Amino acid sequence: MSLKNVLAVALGIMSAIGGFVDIGDLVFNTQAGATFGFQLLWVVVVGVVGIIVYSEMCGRASAFAERPVFDLVRERAGFGAGLATLVASEVVNLMTCAAEIGGLAICLRLLSGLPYRLLIPLAVLGLVLASWVLPFRWIERVFGYLGLGLLVFAVAAIKLHPNWGHVAHGFVPGSHAGGSLTVYLYFVVGLLGAAMTPYEVYFYSSGVVEDRWGLKDLRLNKVTAIIGYSLGGFLSFALMIVAGVLFLPRGISPQFLGTPALGAEHALGQIGLLLALVGILFAVGGAAIETSFAGAYNLAQFFGWRWGKKERPAKASRFTLSWLVIFALALLLVMTGYDPVKLTEYSVIFSVVALPLTYLPILLVANDRTYMGANTNGKLANFLGGLYLILIVVIALAAIPLLLLTNGGQG
Amino acid sequence: MDGLRAHADLIHLLKSRFPALTGQLGAKALSQQAKSLQSAAAEGALLAQDAVSGKTTRVYAREHSSDLRTAAVRVEAELKRAKTEPSLEPKLHRLAVIAARVSVVLERLGGASRNEERALARELRAAAAEAERIGRALK
Repeated sequence: MSLKNVLAVALGIMSAIGGFVDIGDLVFNTQAGATFGFQLLWVVVVGVVGIIVYSEMCGRASAFAERPVFDLVRERAGFGAGLATLVASEVVNLMTCAAEIGGLAICLRLLSGLPYRLLIPLAVLGLVLASWVLPFRWIERVFGYLGLGLLVFAVAAIKLHPNWGHVAHGFVPGSHAGGSLTVYLYFVVGLLGAAMTPYEVYFYSSGVVEDRWGLKDLRLNKVTAIIGYSLGGFLSFALMIVAGVLFLPRGISPQFLGTPALGAEHALGQIGLLLALVGILFAVGGAAIETSFAGAYNLAQFFGWRWGKKERPAKASRFTLSWLVIFALALLLVMTGYDPVKLTEYSVIFSVVALPLTYLPILLVANDRTYMGANTNGKLANFLGGLYLILIVVIALAAIPLLLLTNGGQG
Repeated sequence: MDGLRAHADLIHLLKSRFPALTGQLGAKALSQQAKSLQSAAAEGALLAQDAVSGKTTRVYAREHSSDLRTAAVRVEAELKRAKTEPSLEPKLHRLAVIAARVSVVLERLGGASRNEERALARELRAAAAEAERIGRALK
């Protein structure tokens, strides 16, 4: 591999790390750590392996067919099933986009002290400008690299001196202590949902087409998915460890987006606080763009419109209008004053309900020689894909009952 | 018969999840309020402690303490509105008093001097501890 390729892989991985964490991960990992300490670390591992398995499949399908996965899903699953997948994913995308925009405005408020309601439209304006002006690769990179500020949580986790034996124990699923079984299961479902959010695979597969990956890039696809998401998972571990050390013993149940930043502040002072807030700002900002684009990609690919950032906005007018409308609807949703943290909880739980609609067609496409030629799933990919599909169906059925029974994890 | 039982179960579930439907706070709902109050006070104490050590920024301290105050005010309003069974009245009353105190302290934290921050951190820690004690007694 040439130095140029190594650099390209490293840059891709760095943006994947910074881009892995979104508001769902921030909220659920911090709340899980504050409620159960390190006992749910194993769930992050399960979630990260799941997103790696399916993102790699999506990337491979898109690179080989040179078509994004939603396009293939609609063709393979038929109009009815494709439409159901489209509707479910658009609803979840909109809710997630609104939550991310709310999170962005909160972060700006914590940095500037300006009123939240003034910052919401300003945040959307900034996102629209960035989406309009920056090429696809630079959107990924700018938000991914600046999202690396979140690495401050890894440093904070070390500085807070957790009991590493207890941390290691958290990677082994087993009995739990400190809360009811239903609350424990609610967080299992939420953490899996946050790690395996549907928009991530749609965005990833469309990105493969935007970046013009082909057969020669299959290894790059595998490396980026495995290393990028794995290292991104470390940020989730760090958030949970910080919450387990700092918030659990004090009885703090995080209800605000500013609370995770308090962990970095306590461990590292003002520089820790500022890095955490900047990291959160770009992580949720990047995720807001990803969700609006994922929504526009899905619509355009389902209806066969011209799409992509590589196209001039006027040439892909319906695609461009779609992501603008998603931003506008998300703006209206946040302006109602609904709490972004609550909105995040609902968007993650509803995304769990929609997970089978996302992942089953991908598994079918990845096994179809018509689309994949000789690059269909191997035994390992099929074993893991099948296993995760069963898991996804189980958590999809359990998600809403657990949300109601636990009053959103409150017990 | 099964239908009636299912109906009764549903009402029981709704009452336990949404205590406002009964017009009364039971021990469990009261314990939840104590937990929320403890959380806001403990988080405020941590923020105040960081402010004393110069670890935070003015803007973050002001904005985040304002968020925490909103949570404490909400608990206070719910407790003041709530009714409970006679044996739980003293605890309800005490929690409402603590919530009002925490709201005031968190409001002051936003613009406090270093010396004042130290005293506010102490007050918030004490409030968190008392809310926790009451919450534990309600379980």
